[in-house]
Amino acid sequence: MKRASLRASLVIIVVALIAGGVAYAGLLPSYWVFLATSVLITGVALQSLGLVAGRTGMIALCQMSFAGVGAWTVGYLNIAEAPGGLPVWILIGGLAAVPFGVAIGLPALRLRGINLAIVTLSFATAFDTILATMTYPGQTDFLQVPRPELFDSDEGYFVFVLLFYGTIAVALEIINRTRLGASWLAVRHSERAAAAHGVSIATAKLSAFAISAFVAGVSGGLLAGYLGTLVAENFSMMQSLSLYAVSVMAGAHFAEGAIIGGLLVVMFPELLRRLDWPQDIGNVFFAIGATQALASGETMSETFRRQVRKLLPARKPKPVGASTQDLPAAVERPVGAALTIDGLTVRYGSVVALNNVSLTVAAGTVAGLIGPNGAGKSTFIDAVAGFLSSYQGSVRLGERPLEGMSAHRRARAGVRRTWQTNRIAPELTVGGYLALAARGLSASETRALLDWLDCPHPDMLVSSVDAGTRRLLDVAGVVAARPAVVLLDEPAAGQSHEETLRLGQRIAEIPKLFGSAVLLVEHDMDLVRAVCSDVTVLDFGQVIASGPPAKVLGERAVKKAYLGIEEESVAA
Amino acid sequence: MRGGADPDRYFGPKPARFPDWEKMNPLLTSAVAGLTAGGTYALLGVCAVFTYRLVAVVNFTGAAIGTAGTFVLIALFEAGFPIWPSVLAGIAAGTLTGVAIGYIMTRWFGEASASTKAAVTVALLVGLIAIGLRLTGGQHPHNMPELFPGSAFRLAGVEVTIASVLTIGLAVLFTILSDLFLNRTKIGLNLRALADRPMAAELLGVRVQMLSLLVWGMTGAFTTFALMIIAPQRSPNFMTLSLLVVPALAAALVGVFRSFWWTLAGGIALGLVEGLASSIDSISQYRSAIPFLVVLAVLLWSQREARWDEAR
Amino acid sequence: MSRLVVSNLSIDRAELPVVTSLDLVAESGEISVVLGANGAGKTTLLEGLSGIIPVAGGSIAIDGRALQKARPGARSREGLAHVEQGRTVFRQLTTEENLRVSLHPGADLAEAYALFPELVQRRTVKASLLSGGEQQMLVIARALLTRPKVLLIDEMSAGLAPVIVTRLMTAVRKLADDGLAVVLVEQFAALALSIGNRAYVMRRGRVVHDGDCAKLRQSPDELHRLYLGGSETAVSA
Repeated sequence: MKRASLRASLVIIVVALIAGGVAYAGLLPSYWVFLATSVLITGVALQSLGLVAGRTGMIALCQMSFAGVGAWTVGYLNIAEAPGGLPVWILIGGLAAVPFGVAIGLPALRLRGINLAIVTLSFATAFDTILATMTYPGQTDFLQVPRPELFDSDEGYFVFVLLFYGTIAVALEIINRTRLGASWLAVRHSERAAAAHGVSIATAKLSAFAISAFVAGVSGGLLAGYLGTLVAENFSMMQSLSLYAVSVMAGAHFAEGAIIGGLLVVMFPELLRRLDWPQDIGNVFFAIGATQALASGETMSETFRRQVRKLLPARKPKPVGASTQDLPAAVERPVGAALTIDGLTVRYGSVVALNNVSLTVAAGTVAGLIGPNGAGKSTFIDAVAGFLSSYQGSVRLGERPLEGMSAHRRARAGVRRTWQTNRIAPELTVGGYLALAARGLSASETRALLDWLDCPHPDMLVSSVDAGTRRLLDVAGVVAARPAVVLLDEPAAGQSHEETLRLGQRIAEIPKLFGSAVLLVEHDMDLVRAVCSDVTVLDFGQVIASGPPAKVLGERAVKKAYLGIEEESVAA
Repeated sequence: MRGGADPDRYFGPKPARFPDWEKMNPLLTSAVAGLTAGGTYALLGVCAVFTYRLVAVVNFTGAAIGTAGTFVLIALFEAGFPIWPSVLAGIAAGTLTGVAIGYIMTRWFGEASASTKAAVTVALLVGLIAIGLRLTGGQHPHNMPELFPGSAFRLAGVEVTIASVLTIGLAVLFTILSDLFLNRTKIGLNLRALADRPMAAELLGVRVQMLSLLVWGMTGAFTTFALMIIAPQRSPNFMTLSLLVVPALAAALVGVFRSFWWTLAGGIALGLVEGLASSIDSISQYRSAIPFLVVLAVLLWSQREARWDEAR
Repeated sequence: MSRLVVSNLSIDRAELPVVTSLDLVAESGEISVVLGANGAGKTTLLEGLSGIIPVAGGSIAIDGRALQKARPGARSREGLAHVEQGRTVFRQLTTEENLRVSLHPGADLAEAYALFPELVQRRTVKASLLSGGEQQMLVIARALLTRPKVLLIDEMSAGLAPVIVTRLMTAVRKLADDGLAVVLVEQFAALALSIGNRAYVMRRGRVVHDGDCAKLRQSPDELHRLYLGGSETAVSA
């Protein structure tokens, strides 16, 4: 476990211990303990929603249906007198919700998130009517779901729920800091960029749905023990919708956000009741809050965190002080062609974007690809990295043909690319991003790599890193993986002259330090001249020149491509 | 007239109560009984496509907007106002609700991603339902006047109600009218330009915000009228009617949020299947799961050729 | 007589400064050519001028009316027209429908067809089916029908055959001669300089050269240096 997640987990455990102690010692009136239990159960449901809606950015509108599956499962296990008692039943209930989550996630795997909203809403509707026909198991015999003996009192059950809440919070905190957790944020921000790091989109989304459904199912089981018996109304579509609004408003993907949300859901109606106001206007409040959060792009938890950060003295990240010796070791590569493109042709309808382009990047070198706007450079990178649905010609990595391989498989095989636009998920830390980009990077390697490219401390949030540095971070990510080939798409765009010079030195060092061959797409001719041993010029999708940069940049055809019509013909 | 205490909390048409029920082909009868619902789904679906195509919002509040207008009609009618002025007032209220939602969407979410816009309409749906339930007294039964009672004609011995003819007719009319409006008027031309390239349209001085509000108002008016027709068949409670958005979006998915005519067909088919399902005892109580199955099937089918999400 | 005056303009893109304290004047009847290699900030400059992206600082004014805070639609109604790069025709609309979207009450479709008679026989054809050159003519004609005072044109020659580019350049020259102030952004310098009056060369978001078009045309080495960078000796091969 990394230190940061350890710290967050400790905070959760300490807070939970205090809360549990206060409740168990009977310092609070029973009624408040009863309400607080409800807050926590709602918090568990919100955590499940926070995972799928907050982290992967999908609109999930049937979370309470999953909870219903969990609750009903617990009910059946109760009348079947299954062994293990409530704790085991709750876990089985959670597992029972998983297939539903996966089945509903499947149609949204490769389509836009909006479709998931439609699927989940229609599932919630369907589930409502089905649940309405099934009375809660044991209800007709007045058989309640029994609480474990140790936790039978209201105070005891509060501690029981608290244990679940804390365990789930710590577990999610840990998962969120793994590569899987980082991949959720990456997928939310840009599916393509995630795939370019070798993340399988299907695995990322389905795992999020599965875990989310499990946690939701657990919340249903907890509710069963809390109330003893349930009605369909507890899990209606309206509950799911309102929970979604609350999660958007509070930011349920943060541990404190789920509690804030739980408090809102439970305490707001309580407050209205005491004021003798109608309780159902709570949803109006949640709707306004959610809309406001979406408009400002900041949830209550994020506002809370920002305010707390303001109050606390800023912790300066310690200077890294790493040396190049700590850089991850270069991977030995055979000499010869690292990447061979032969007769690459790409058509969009009747437009030929690339026409019979052939190019070789030799191992251990930096090659350049240049050309005016619209010459087809980005299309070239897309085709090589597997982001086009079809092309003609062949792309070989070493001896291995890449045809028929999806983008994330090509990335794993050793073709990594950067992007012209910033596609790094801003919620990640710098270190988390590198962990996403390169599996198994040690802490000292991470620091050395960041230092090598003048990137900030690994604990910094990407959102607080300026855009120019994010581009360098993008480069750091691809070289960290030490792939056979690195495709850099205009890394120097937006950098100052001095920064560009420095970046140029770094790019030139990549083959030696990391064992990766580089294909550099760049507009800055000084940079190209400085680092490339070989340059290919594209114009109108065709190779018009290739060779050493000094020679190629002087060629007439190249001047023409950059300056337009040949100077002689301009006389008109 | 019908009360609101209805065991069918959500959708699913009632089998029509015909005097000579046994003599007729029961399957055909129940299918035809689903026509009114089908027509409503079709109209709501076409409005959803209209909104998506012209202002790029997947609108979860579509049916709720119409429900708001419908309840203005109910309130006025219950207060003793004559029916047709109440209908007009209701449609006006629905239009205004649509414009209000549209204002929120264009004012604060004009540049937002499609996903964020959809999330906003979900949040607004929660708020609208809460306000609606509060103002209309929750499950409290209401007198919803049947605007078009009676049957229009007999088809193979089955009575086809005026309401069903009207909803389907309205859906077809809306499809044709929007076609004419978009293709024959200057405003329609600007709307098409706006849908094609919003920024290019704005750069040419097209009043983007006003046109967007017009779209919201128009769909608000039509959904309101559609809901007024179907409301007597359902338990007229605010939530039940608002959630008609589910079959509407299912119909829109059949048309891939692009084709009006496929959406129309999808909506009607959905109604017919629901009608059929309601006649088969073993599955009738699960008939509101049908939109879910349709959504699932359509999405799995369309996933065949899904590519990278262009926006990201 | 109108003029566009841009002073001390800065524009950021994704927090990166792309255009930095830039001054530019475009006079009625003149073509101001903005040159520079890819990534110099030319397109960003035009997008900032027309309001597609907000400006970080500085001012934009037509005939003394400040525009830097107005929405794109309002700037259009103040007489600023922007022909974006990439030939942004309304693909689903026919040629004539494209023209009618922008039609100023005082303008006539005939003006567009007079400028580009090629479009007449393509009036009922969907814009997505036009050739690249025709699409470029269409977007220029479309902008013209908003009755602008200032016309911004971005990379109109990209991906077009030389003969078409010459045709377009002639038409733009005519528009300027008729009294428009034209700002022409081009990556292909030679032809643009041959029709332009004043030349601005951008590099890394700044104007590195500002002068007469004819003069710059006569010193191709200087232009080459401004474009491709590097020392004179490196490129003299």
